[in-house]
Amino acid sequence: MDDEDDAPILTAVSSSARQLYLLLRCINFAEKAHVQISEEGLKFSVDEASVMEGSAFLDKSLFTSYTFRAPPPQRIEPTDSDEEEPSELASTPTFQISLPSLLETLQIFGLTDPNNSKPPWARDNPTSTAFSNNVLGMNNLCRISYDSLGSPLAVVLTESTIRTTCNLTTYEPAFADEIPFDRQSLAFKTIMRGSWLFDAISELASTNPESLTLVARMAHGKPYFALSANGPLGSARVEFNNNPTPTTASTATQATRAPPNPRATTPSTNTNGDPPPPTNLLETFQLSTPSVPLRSTYKFALVQKAARAMSVATKVSIRRDVQGVLSLQFMIEVESGKVSFVDFRFVPLVEEEDEEGREGEETMMGVREEGEGRDRGSGSRSESGTEDEDMR
Amino acid sequence: MRFKASIQNINTFTKLTASLNSLGPLAWVKLSDDQVCFTIIPEQGTQVWAVLSIDTIFETYTVQSAANNVINLEVPLTSLNRALKSALNATSAQIRLTKKDNMPLLALTIATTSSSNSYAAFPTAAANNNEDGMDNLDASFGGGARETIVTQEIPVRVLGPDTVAGLHEPQCREPDVHIILPPLMQLKSISDRFTKLALAGAKSGTTASRSRLEVAANMHGCLKMSIKTDAMSISSVWTDLNNPELDPSQVAGGDIGIAEHPSTRMKQLGSADGRSEEGWASVRIDGRDWGKVMSVGRLGGRVIACFCHEHALILYVYLPSDNGEDESVLTYYVSSYSA
Repeated sequence: MDDEDDAPILTAVSSSARQLYLLLRCINFAEKAHVQISEEGLKFSVDEASVMEGSAFLDKSLFTSYTFRAPPPQRIEPTDSDEEEPSELASTPTFQISLPSLLETLQIFGLTDPNNSKPPWARDNPTSTAFSNNVLGMNNLCRISYDSLGSPLAVVLTESTIRTTCNLTTYEPAFADEIPFDRQSLAFKTIMRGSWLFDAISELASTNPESLTLVARMAHGKPYFALSANGPLGSARVEFNNNPTPTTASTATQATRAPPNPRATTPSTNTNGDPPPPTNLLETFQLSTPSVPLRSTYKFALVQKAARAMSVATKVSIRRDVQGVLSLQFMIEVESGKVSFVDFRFVPLVEEEDEEGREGEETMMGVREEGEGRDRGSGSRSESGTEDEDMR
Repeated sequence: MRFKASIQNINTFTKLTASLNSLGPLAWVKLSDDQVCFTIIPEQGTQVWAVLSIDTIFETYTVQSAANNVINLEVPLTSLNRALKSALNATSAQIRLTKKDNMPLLALTIATTSSSNSYAAFPTAAANNNEDGMDNLDASFGGGARETIVTQEIPVRVLGPDTVAGLHEPQCREPDVHIILPPLMQLKSISDRFTKLALAGAKSGTTASRSRLEVAANMHGCLKMSIKTDAMSISSVWTDLNNPELDPSQVAGGDIGIAEHPSTRMKQLGSADGRSEEGWASVRIDGRDWGKVMSVGRLGGRVIACFCHEHALILYVYLPSDNGEDESVLTYYVSSYSA
């Protein structure tokens, strides 16, 4: 800090740890998170068995000040690593930290001031004056810094006369490749409200299903999108129709015991209190080959991990590339006008042949590459996912 | 042996017993002419020696015994606290020592006035009419308040003078640092989160339950609380706290005693912004035990912490009293774990 050479790689100051907390909470499903520091901002990503990954990008606009000083390219080239571009690695420092610890730390804010919820006259020790930091909104400062490669990620929270310093141990990154998602060759894309997807997933979750099948096609010239869940208790489906009167039907098929009752109400009633929904439930609906219905299956439990993001997102973009990889991109409004994005990617399950004869005719897309996966896969679902990545 | 008193401040008494109960199940209660002492000595963890002035809790207090009007009792705090909770809405409550089948017990007699109005179909109408003396009329017609009397019995053990003769308040050397703590509930919320963090770290790590909270203070108004796990280290620093001046009349040796007091030496070290490494007197304590100690924060008194570096932490919790003279004080003895 004294010399220009010793200047930290990153110094970011935010006046609201709450925003950071709300965004990072969306991807809180693993012990460790990868952090990538760049000129544009901080990227936090977590992955689960290489079949699912989630990432939250903290844009530098979320911070009141954001100073990034790219570290000099590392002289010593790591010999045991298979990194081909060490210079690139050095310019965007990447490391792992404990995500639950970071989230707990960010929550310390506000805890320390028991007066927050009380009006000024009811406070025990009226320290606040018209000129104190509270009024300026300066009492909640969160400073994130990363001094040099290998040093801990420091989070300093300052609140009135209390200063909390948290040094998060940084670990070597464990995975370098993200799940490949080909933005250029999309098979399907739709945009809808995050809360509608949340309602659908929570509705389907009640039957404790194993898999989630995404079906999209043009039906009678109208877009048709459905999420159907299959599990030992039966199956349930939530449909999104872009009709003038948007309705959603939940059909219980082959229910053995507790059939998923048709509680699935129309999404328009689920979002009660909102203004009348737009005429179209699905804002965008694109199929690369509209004549062919699209169908792909994902592990339900994994998709459910994105539920927190669904519940807070204003919009979600659901995309599937030709390989079958599902991308859920959530637009989250952290402050009026400011939006941030949280991304999830899912590797599809290998579909077994004639898993559901009734809907077999819909299984058109994805058969090609999933067939390849099956050739090599043992049918185990998690393995199929990793192989899908190997195929690249 | 006689003990009888009416409880003046049920709310305080309930909070006090709840706080004490978190540290241990049994209390040694010493009743004497001018004060009431509650002492908790658990198997391990923090000891509490509380000395309360009579009027902190009681009024119309009588205690008589053959041993200089002192009665020593072993009281189960859970039962006492439960009994007191039922008295929270009481109009009056009395406690006395009695015997049933030759078993000593504390009988808590609670009088509750249940206004029949509150169960009436039209309570607001009745309430509106109260101003012009209608309630008197109501009462005369039998619609007024009804008194319910409930007696709760708490079995106790009477301790002989020789039983308690061996119990002494812990002795400790002069503290290195003394400081007035910030509101305990504030401290508690942070320390609880720290403990949670340590537990989250221990889940993945191998060294479970080794995480100790480190509490330190200096003579420049700073308090530091920190915890270390494999995944992180976190510390919170409070600044601008008060280090009370020592009273020469209370320190052995007077002014010379103060000049040679450890805290005078500690004043030379450290800084007021809490960034200096020097001048800290620190203790290592169990996070859960600390959380229990902090629960006394609900009584809302002033707390002075005395740090004996790497040895012990002594907390003096002063309960607010009406006359401001003979304050009641709860003394917590927390010993430090070695590193």
